[in-house]
Amino acid sequence: MIIVFMILALGIGLVYGMSGIELTALNMITENTDIVLYILMFSVGISIGMQRGIFSKIKEYHMKIFIIPIGIIVGSFVGGVICSLILEIPIGYGTAITSGLGWYSLAGVTISGLANVEMGSIAFMSNLMREMFSFILIPFLAVHFNYYTCIAPAGATSEDTTLPVMLKYTNEETVVLSVFNGVICSFMVPILISFCLNMV
Amino acid sequence: MEALIIMCLGILAGRFLIPKRAKKGNEWFSLGCTFLLILCMGVKLGRDDNFINDLSSLGLSSLLFFLIPTVLSILIVFVLTKKFMKKRKGDQEQEVDK
Repeated sequence: MIIVFMILALGIGLVYGMSGIELTALNMITENTDIVLYILMFSVGISIGMQRGIFSKIKEYHMKIFIIPIGIIVGSFVGGVICSLILEIPIGYGTAITSGLGWYSLAGVTISGLANVEMGSIAFMSNLMREMFSFILIPFLAVHFNYYTCIAPAGATSEDTTLPVMLKYTNEETVVLSVFNGVICSFMVPILISFCLNMV
Repeated sequence: MEALIIMCLGILAGRFLIPKRAKKGNEWFSLGCTFLLILCMGVKLGRDDNFINDLSSLGLSSLLFFLIPTVLSILIVFVLTKKFMKKRKGDQEQEVDK
């Protein structure tokens, strides 16, 4: 049900954006999405803070906490190589596109600047799709796979936009792992993109 | 980084200031903020003329660049976590509750 509302929200936003209608309140919010994101992060923090003993549980993972970001990065990298071979484009470009790990704004802009506009556009859209479809995939993965796997499609967005969905369909422990994963992936995105583009 | 600091402040507030009974309300509030962010994302994309043009010309390649890496990430993380991260007691009960 939540997913339906999310798709609806995106659809309404798209139609509103294309229509040229100007609503002051919505325009103000759209121009200040950072503030909404900060409020969201505060609210997510409250949810985590209400769980007793969560950090001691996380400490038990030790180095295993890196398994999820490593899995996501390796999967995305190999996926980029496969896509490059299918579409017959340089592997450096393909892996750079998938190194966005869902961070569409940064990947799109960086690759447009460092490679070309066409690759930048593909990076923007494919990473946007990754974020969009994460909203649909997370509830499915929570039921049919395990809670940890829910973090995989979200990639770098697992620390912000997809976090409330994670909170809704998994548990607080997974949410903390999700934030950790998001921080690592977000840190790695610019490094991976530069590295991959250097291979071209 | 700012987002992380704000989340840490939220954790402190959740631990020491906010009463337990506000938990459900807070979850709904988070969800409301998410809807708002998605709505704003839609508005920004709708206003961007290039997005619609790019979607029609590069949509298929983009779909492929989304699909294969995402599926591979899911499979690798699933296999690794199944092997190295034990499922904790209580997860199953929570799954049933959802």
